[in-house]
Amino acid sequence: MFRPFADWLATTQLSQLFQNQLWVVPTSQSIHIICVCLVFSSAIMINLRLLGVGVKGRSISQLSSSLVPWMWGGLCVLLLTGAVQTIAEPVRQFVTPAFWAKMGMIIVVVSMTAVFARKVRANAARWDAAGSRPASARAFAIGSSILWILIIVCGRFIGYTWAFYA
Amino acid sequence: MSLDSLLMWIQDLPLAAAVRGETAGSEWLFPIIETLHVLTLTVVFGSIVMVDLRLVGLTSRGSSISRLTDETLPWTWTSWVLSAITGTLLFMSKAVTYYGNFQFRMKFVFMALAAVNMLIFHFGAYRKVAQWDTAVPPTSARVAGALSIAFWVAVIFFGRWIGFTT
Repeated sequence: MFRPFADWLATTQLSQLFQNQLWVVPTSQSIHIICVCLVFSSAIMINLRLLGVGVKGRSISQLSSSLVPWMWGGLCVLLLTGAVQTIAEPVRQFVTPAFWAKMGMIIVVVSMTAVFARKVRANAARWDAAGSRPASARAFAIGSSILWILIIVCGRFIGYTWAFYA
Repeated sequence: MSLDSLLMWIQDLPLAAAVRGETAGSEWLFPIIETLHVLTLTVVFGSIVMVDLRLVGLTSRGSSISRLTDETLPWTWTSWVLSAITGTLLFMSKAVTYYGNFQFRMKFVFMALAAVNMLIFHFGAYRKVAQWDTAVPPTSARVAGALSIAFWVAVIFFGRWIGFTT
């Protein structure tokens, strides 16, 4: 279903421009990886703190307010560089289930993170004390960590699987 | 034994052949190891940049730097060791090609620069960290933080570029 769209997108002027400038895709991917580092490390630090492993020096609300803005900034750049890579090589992206799995998981984890950050902002005291933290905090920490790891795995596997489906 | 024959010897090891996917059942070994390399390097870079950004003064101003390094360093070193192991396995698979690759060499030049920068910081400004732990770091520490970000960004760029040039 997406194949005709991908084939059309590959013929557009913008896609042709990106394809002909050989530095565009590697540069975009490098920036993409750097932002993955920022977003993933921030998420893992917050999640470990929620689970009570390490990062004891700062409270949940402190970590959330200092790291979540970096995560949103990083995600914006990820979206931008991801779009460049998709426009440059649409077929490579759209044919493999790894791409769609990645997109689905991103929607889930970003929604989860937005809800989490909102709740922490609304009631910092409740989240900062281990005793009064909602039971769902642990589930969020474990669930979102697994999702971020799988997102990175799927992202890397787009490059290794697309040729089988093209 | 000359360097060339050493590289050939490494590349001819059964382990190297397995990473290349040449033995039965090892077809997915290279993608899996490379994905683990990406996952671990994200934590290396992310945890280093958190400290660097604090040194430069862009984040967590006023919070203790020594506490931040205590929290992040175990993660940096653990993930660095895992990155080094997975990186070595990837290198073994095409030792001759990687050794001769310009981007591969530059990656190691910049990692060496990052290491020297870290040592200068550790045995220089950081020895008196108690005096500026929660304040604005001295100029030498801020320069070290900025250089560290620049060097590690270069490591990631050249690292990503290896895949496009080998």
